[in-house]
Amino acid sequence: MSKTIVTLVGKDKVGIIATVCNFFAENNINILDLKQTTAQGYINMMMIVDTDLYEGSTEDLNKGLEGIGVKVGCTIKAQHEEIFDMMHRI
Amino acid sequence: MVELNEVFETVNMVAQENLDVRTITMGISLLDCIDPNLDKLCNKIFDKITTSAKDLVKVGDDIGNEFGVPVINKRISVTPIAIVGGAACKKPKDFVRIAETLDSAAKEVGVNFIGGYSALVQKGMTAGDRLLIESIPEALAKTERVCSSISLGSTRTGINMDAVRLMGDIILQTATATKENDSLGCAKLVVFCNPPDDNPFMAGAFHGVTEADKVINVGVSGPGVVKYELSKVRGEDFEVLCETIKKTAFKVTRVGQLFAKEASKRLGVPFGIVDLSLAPTPAVGDSIADIIHEMGMEYAGAPGTTAALAILNDQVKKGGVMASSYVGGLSGAFIPVTEDQAMAEAAAVGALTLEKLEAMTCVCSVGLDMIAIPGDTPATTIAGIIADEMAIGMVNQKTTAVRLIPVIGKGVGEVAEFGGLLGEAKIMPVNKFGCADFVNRGGRIPAPIHSFKN
Repeated sequence: MSKTIVTLVGKDKVGIIATVCNFFAENNINILDLKQTTAQGYINMMMIVDTDLYEGSTEDLNKGLEGIGVKVGCTIKAQHEEIFDMMHRI
Repeated sequence: MVELNEVFETVNMVAQENLDVRTITMGISLLDCIDPNLDKLCNKIFDKITTSAKDLVKVGDDIGNEFGVPVINKRISVTPIAIVGGAACKKPKDFVRIAETLDSAAKEVGVNFIGGYSALVQKGMTAGDRLLIESIPEALAKTERVCSSISLGSTRTGINMDAVRLMGDIILQTATATKENDSLGCAKLVVFCNPPDDNPFMAGAFHGVTEADKVINVGVSGPGVVKYELSKVRGEDFEVLCETIKKTAFKVTRVGQLFAKEASKRLGVPFGIVDLSLAPTPAVGDSIADIIHEMGMEYAGAPGTTAALAILNDQVKKGGVMASSYVGGLSGAFIPVTEDQAMAEAAAVGALTLEKLEAMTCVCSVGLDMIAIPGDTPATTIAGIIADEMAIGMVNQKTTAVRLIPVIGKGVGEVAEFGGLLGEAKIMPVNKFGCADFVNRGGRIPAPIHSFKN
């Protein structure tokens, strides 16, 4: 399974998570885990997703997420999980 | 499972603190291209480079996209050309043809620099070595992406003072040949004592003769990240300071290790080393001088700077060594002046002088780097500065380098602009007193006593 970590930062409002989740559903991307915090009106969200059934490349995924980001007014980014494991685990 | 705060720490490092992988450098041996016929030699060199590195740029960009950390440079280093071209080249112009071949190969595969227009003359010069050195001014003026490095000394051999003297002239000639662009040619020319065979950073990268046919070396970055982490521990004692640098260096180097392994796998080329160096860029905040400022100096160059740099260099190594399976190259902190915006500023206000920079090179990983000096500096004075720096490397058993840019037509206080990653800086004054009688003696300085370890 190739796990990708999706991060989202921005001003909180109604429907952000719904929009992002819809995008994943439409693109055959399974959400494995979701963590989020909101503080002073801002949202920080991290999703771990499984992209095995997704047909595009990482570049396509990032472009798609960029579009969703514009729609919900947040910055969204997808990165391979390994980078976080390498940096934060010995 | 990674935690939310850890994920956002990484994301912020890239978005706000200039974390990147500075370079993925493919080392390519050209020993199997050697041919006494210059045309055949150039064809073989072009073919080998363009075949070996055809996917390098794409792979670098792909990895950067997938892991979300940009790979700024994709580069190539080759076997020192004085060795490769020795049999075919009968005059300096012949070597210039090889330089042009390297330049077109670099353009073909899309890398921004190719290093290895080099000669290793720390003990003596062959006819080929001398021809290559004499060809440097024309070669660097006629090419865009070729970088040249000359090894002038080592702890084991001493210092070749004939070559040091010659390089004083060559640096000035290179400056003159590229005077329309603020003597930019000299930014692509560096002289070394104890150069490493596996350095991925330019201008000093070459693929040593002890290396495999091809190898992937990665240079990490991260001054901005270290600076940001240090800003969180202002006023804390040295233990906290050192631990913070060490932990940050670990994380930064892990990125390099991951990228190196991944590039090696995708290109089918063995992984060589990760170079732990903190390499600054002219981007605001991506600066070694800013770290020194954060550690407590008003400006880089103030008393205490050498101690601060010693701490930084040592902690970067301590954190980085644990993070990578193979560490090599220059590994430490770079202190270029023009390439580091806050360093250039410290020089402009007079906090940082050539003499202080020389002291700093005793404790960092490289040497006098990217320093603009007046264009009327005599060749013998340049040779004297080189000799001093080579002596520091020789005696301390470390790599030292000199990359000075005598800016033709400009004097102290005027600004030299190189653009891009090379940056800009005010021209620094050089000690006016002569050393011609010393550097003109000729011959070589014997190896120091502590080199006799057998």
